[in-house]
Amino acid sequence: MSDLIRRDPRREWIIRNRLHPQHQDMLAELGGGAQTSEWMGPHGVMRKNPHAVGFTGPNGIRRIDRSGAQQAAQAPGRSAETKDARQRITIDTPDFMVAVVPDMVGGRLSAHDRDLLGLARQLADADPSQPGAVLAVVFGEHKETAFDEAGIDRLLHVEGERFSGYLPELKVATLQGVEREIAPRYWLLPDSNLGGGELGRRLAARLGERPAAQVWQVETASDSPTGWRCTARGAAGRDDITRALPRVVLALAECADPVSETRHACDPVTLAQGLPDILGRIEDLGEVAVDPASVALAEAEFILSAGNGVKEWDSYHHAAEVLGATKGASRVAVDDGYMPRDRQVGATGTWVSARVYVAVGISGAIQHLQGIQSCDKVVAINLDEGCDMVKRADLAVIGDASAVLAALVKRVEQYRFEQQENRDAA
Amino acid sequence: MLDTLLPILLFSALALAAIGAVRRVRLWRQGRPSSVPVIKGLMQVPRRYLVDLHHVVERDKYISHTHVATAGGFVLAALLAIVVHGLGLDSAILAWVLLAATTSMFIGSLLVAKRRSPPPSRLSKGPWMRLPKSLMAFSIGMFVVTLPTAGILPEGVFQSGVGWFAALVLAAVIVWGLGEMFFGMTWGGPMKHAFAGALHLAFHRRPERFSDATGGEHRSTGLKALKLDDESAKLGVEKPADFTWNQLLGFDACVQCGRCEAMCPAFAAGQPLNPKKLIQDMVVGMAGGSDAHYAGSPYPGKPVGEHKGDPHGPIVAREGTTLVDAETLWSCTTCRACVEECPMMIEHVDAIVDMRRFLTLEHGNTPNKGAEVLDNLIATDNPGGFDPDSRLHWAADLNLPLMSDKKEAEVLLWLGDGVFDMRNQRTLRAFISVLRAAQVDFAVLGTEERDSGDVARRLGDEATFQSLARRNIQTLSRYRFSRIVTCDPHSFHVLKNEYGELGTPQTPADYHVQHHSTYINELVVAGRLTFKAWKGGSVTYHDPCYLGRYNGEYEAPRDVLRALGIEVKEMARSGYRSRCCGGGGGAPITDIPGKQRIPDMRMEDVRETGADLVAVGCPQCTAMLEGVVEPRAAIKDIAELVADALIIETAAEKSPQRQEAPATPRPALEVTP
Amino acid sequence: MPHDVSNRAKSATPDGLNVAVLVSIGRHPLTARTRRADQDARAVEMALTLEGASVSLLHAGQHEREHEEALRGYLGMGIDSVNLIQQRPQADVVPALADALREGAPQLVLTGTRAETHEASGVLPYLLAEALGWPIITGLAAVEKVEQGMATVLQALPRGKRRRLRIRLPAIATVDTSAPAARQSAFGPAKRGALEPLDATSEVDEALAAWQVQPARKRPKRLKIVKSSSARDRFKAAAAKADGGGGQTLSDVTPEQGAEAIFKLLKEEGVLR
Repeated sequence: MSDLIRRDPRREWIIRNRLHPQHQDMLAELGGGAQTSEWMGPHGVMRKNPHAVGFTGPNGIRRIDRSGAQQAAQAPGRSAETKDARQRITIDTPDFMVAVVPDMVGGRLSAHDRDLLGLARQLADADPSQPGAVLAVVFGEHKETAFDEAGIDRLLHVEGERFSGYLPELKVATLQGVEREIAPRYWLLPDSNLGGGELGRRLAARLGERPAAQVWQVETASDSPTGWRCTARGAAGRDDITRALPRVVLALAECADPVSETRHACDPVTLAQGLPDILGRIEDLGEVAVDPASVALAEAEFILSAGNGVKEWDSYHHAAEVLGATKGASRVAVDDGYMPRDRQVGATGTWVSARVYVAVGISGAIQHLQGIQSCDKVVAINLDEGCDMVKRADLAVIGDASAVLAALVKRVEQYRFEQQENRDAA
Repeated sequence: MLDTLLPILLFSALALAAIGAVRRVRLWRQGRPSSVPVIKGLMQVPRRYLVDLHHVVERDKYISHTHVATAGGFVLAALLAIVVHGLGLDSAILAWVLLAATTSMFIGSLLVAKRRSPPPSRLSKGPWMRLPKSLMAFSIGMFVVTLPTAGILPEGVFQSGVGWFAALVLAAVIVWGLGEMFFGMTWGGPMKHAFAGALHLAFHRRPERFSDATGGEHRSTGLKALKLDDESAKLGVEKPADFTWNQLLGFDACVQCGRCEAMCPAFAAGQPLNPKKLIQDMVVGMAGGSDAHYAGSPYPGKPVGEHKGDPHGPIVAREGTTLVDAETLWSCTTCRACVEECPMMIEHVDAIVDMRRFLTLEHGNTPNKGAEVLDNLIATDNPGGFDPDSRLHWAADLNLPLMSDKKEAEVLLWLGDGVFDMRNQRTLRAFISVLRAAQVDFAVLGTEERDSGDVARRLGDEATFQSLARRNIQTLSRYRFSRIVTCDPHSFHVLKNEYGELGTPQTPADYHVQHHSTYINELVVAGRLTFKAWKGGSVTYHDPCYLGRYNGEYEAPRDVLRALGIEVKEMARSGYRSRCCGGGGGAPITDIPGKQRIPDMRMEDVRETGADLVAVGCPQCTAMLEGVVEPRAAIKDIAELVADALIIETAAEKSPQRQEAPATPRPALEVTP
Repeated sequence: MPHDVSNRAKSATPDGLNVAVLVSIGRHPLTARTRRADQDARAVEMALTLEGASVSLLHAGQHEREHEEALRGYLGMGIDSVNLIQQRPQADVVPALADALREGAPQLVLTGTRAETHEASGVLPYLLAEALGWPIITGLAAVEKVEQGMATVLQALPRGKRRRLRIRLPAIATVDTSAPAARQSAFGPAKRGALEPLDATSEVDEALAAWQVQPARKRPKRLKIVKSSSARDRFKAAAAKADGGGGQTLSDVTPEQGAEAIFKLLKEEGVLR
């Protein structure tokens, strides 16, 4: 479908002319079947039809909701049309290159990657007279379809069987090839534990560049030799180190805003020299299956915690397995011998910082609540609506623990199945 | 014949006993040196025995009477037998006295026999089952053999026909009796307790525990400091020989009466600790050998006969088993119930902490969360690892006066680590409202306060304790206050009893420290608090170990409760026999599994009284008891109860009758008896 | 000591594995007191648990009181001595460490992923690997076996996952917080252990002079980016309270409805994999 907005002068005229016999029909067409309450007048002024807005209240009085909620529900066609009104940018002859090596978690650009690309754009676009181009180097298979929207001008996609698995040495050798052929002005890598942090350090060591790690802010600075200055966390997050921006930058998430206003060419690039052939000293023997239950509680992201209210322990353990959650327990469950001591959550056990903490049958003793203080979202499944855990919870479901867990297991299994189908179909 | 035989028997038994005594003393002297006033100590024995020890034995009237009859009879009979039969002093009067003494001893031995039929589980069996018979043998033998001397039987009755035979039997009985009573006393028989016990009383490592003629409280519960700067000093106790010699002597004095076992909360909870067995293991270690001959209750879950040791071998092995397993030592809550009960005044807790010190300071093997807690104490001065600067965050709205601003105050309020615990913050708030209501001039240290070091010390980390204590002493030395008041009995105990040793001439650390219940009681007595009448249900009171047994404060909390109009329904185990909540000595941190939890047992005690509410005076007790699954009695700190009943006089102060405010009636005082 | 108890049979190399651990001065995140660095201590722990390994500790830095206390933290784990490569303040320790490692020729070098003081960029192990020409891996979780100059190891991945790698020795491996926690540091061994100073050339890191170091500022929280073209929507998104107020309580629902609500939350939070 074309992105161009097509105007129909005749229709607009009919809509303006309330006396036209087709006026109502045209309005209805514009409103997607319903009466239209708002449209653009001939001089660009918004016109409103107050009879078309609002609804009849319970007392038979017509009420108009001015919060805009009603309005948002309507006007469907228009937003689809405006969606891709972003500026399309092509940089044919860049003055320099800014190379980004995204993590590509799960084959897609992560939020961290996008932030980094946003930073790369800042560096590339700083001087309009000498535009730079953003080069992304992507290893192995990927599923990303929106490289252009993320602000990538050039894409070096290094493909092939050889690029699956853990290959830090090969990757560094490839990046070294990029350095030789393209010589980017900056190398930006995510300082993550998903590969980027490691690769960036390897690259810096290989190139003999002193990198800036844990960078969270990059600003222009006239007094800096590179024209840029960066602020990086040092001393395990206690210090801020401000220094000139070096060539290799390992940046933290949210170091810059991701690109949202523009679309870029994303022209494919290849290396003239081809891929390096190196003797790997590190051999990847594949991932090892690890029981999520064995993940240390303090590190766990998602905890399914059981307390006194859990009666069917098998169903609880099964649920934790299906959900892929780390198991936790209240003190009572541990004391009663249902769970090992290292699973105890609370001030007297482990202080946890999970993103989601699901408390099953835990009434919420104060020691326990203290232990989950830093959890983002707390879900309570409990029979007693008045208990402290329910008060603390962001979402509480009042009901029998095993029934809710069983239903949740069923729902998640169904979701997994759907996902599998989608993946197969794709 | 008997006339010649008896002196030989008597003196050879005495000679053997003397040899045994030398051997025994040499066993004790394997321990590290410890200087004691020898003569003065020996002189004190009668008083320590008759007053202090008897005071403990007296708690069990039956055995007290038994022991007076038996031991008194024996001591007298033994002395007279030496005079009458040994030296051949032919005095009818002495003989009559000897008869009376043996009779008394015989009656005593009957009572001993009765107590052991059948023996309660806390008593050791084995050779101890023989003891009443041996006592009877000695008393009967001596009685009969004295009859001719007293003139009841004709002289020479044992020298004819039947008499010869009787004399032989009698000689055999006397040999048995003498063997047990004289020979066994120093060669490791049950009577060893008399010999070792008497010397133990003379050379006790805490002579402060014994009363003197002036009367008053005699208590010594603070742990003794390790000399950490001394390169040659051992960090705690690794081998039996690392105990001081008088500690070893103390272990040897054990009569295996099992009173400690009956009181030990860890034993009752099925944790692998039995204080009696522990002391016996120390004796086994001192003498060398295995615990297979031990005839009492074992450590729960640990069969007898698998452990052995020697004086210079490790008590706790890094791997495998030697004399004692580490978890036995870590089960102790340091509640001192065993020490309080021990009629021989043995110091179990000192020994346990000595051994823990080695495990922590040398092995680096504090179990479970112990290592983490100690690391936190080192890095953040509190066991939870919280930011020390956030110490006063809970009280942001209270506008607490800070010592650093005021420099001096009547009362320095020591808040303790409870500041990081939301439950305890309620208690602290309550107590502060009480202080404000009584218009007390108080101040807190705020972020300058550190953990008192109690937990570190009980976990054996003497280094961390001393570091915390020294820094706290430094801080305290900068301010002027007339007393320290705290809501935490553990801090109370440490500040009161254990800091003194670490003070220096420039910064003395002898403070007047009070528990908040004591202080509230003073305020009540002084008429500075006014209470509403009590409307709640029935209340019982749980004595915190570190307040009661450690510091003898049993009455002030009860007085406060009475002043509130509460009649305390006492638990079966209260006062000096109060059962620990399980929260002391780092026990919740080391967390040694048992069959049940100590706080559950304590709440069961509460349930038996039918009380709706337990009054407590310790953050640990509060936390432990509140951890018991509902339904259970509510748990409130005394400060909370007082604060709830307060009649705050702010309105009265603002009104014109401000002067009359103190004269308003205090309903609480009306019910005070 | 645990690392020299019998059981050398399982070690593949006849002389046992020669492991060097690089240790640094740590700093507690809350109180900034010096201590043994957490990750480095985990590296020491990992080395001590390798059967039949002979472990040596290396530290490059100044010999001063505060540092000594922190280094004694490592000694307290049951180590007899720490080799202290003396360096001036502000020195670049890479050349000195590389020399020491070349000389000591360990088969495996363990260290924490990042230091707790100064730049703490975590680049040092990579620079050493580059200088020595040895392979390097990150996030070592366990050494499974060592044979014929190859080590089979487990690498820790986020969310508790593990990857098995085979790596040629000598090699450098970094250890992060997913490795087993370090054993308790005991006071006695810490006091008795020795610091053995080694003299070494000390090259000053000149770049440091140009840097400004100040206590970390709080990072501004990113506002939700609203791409809506409607001014009203953008305003509403900007002015909206951040997740305020109490939670939602679902009573009188069927288990299925409850489960659906929980499922939705789990999906939103992205914890379902």
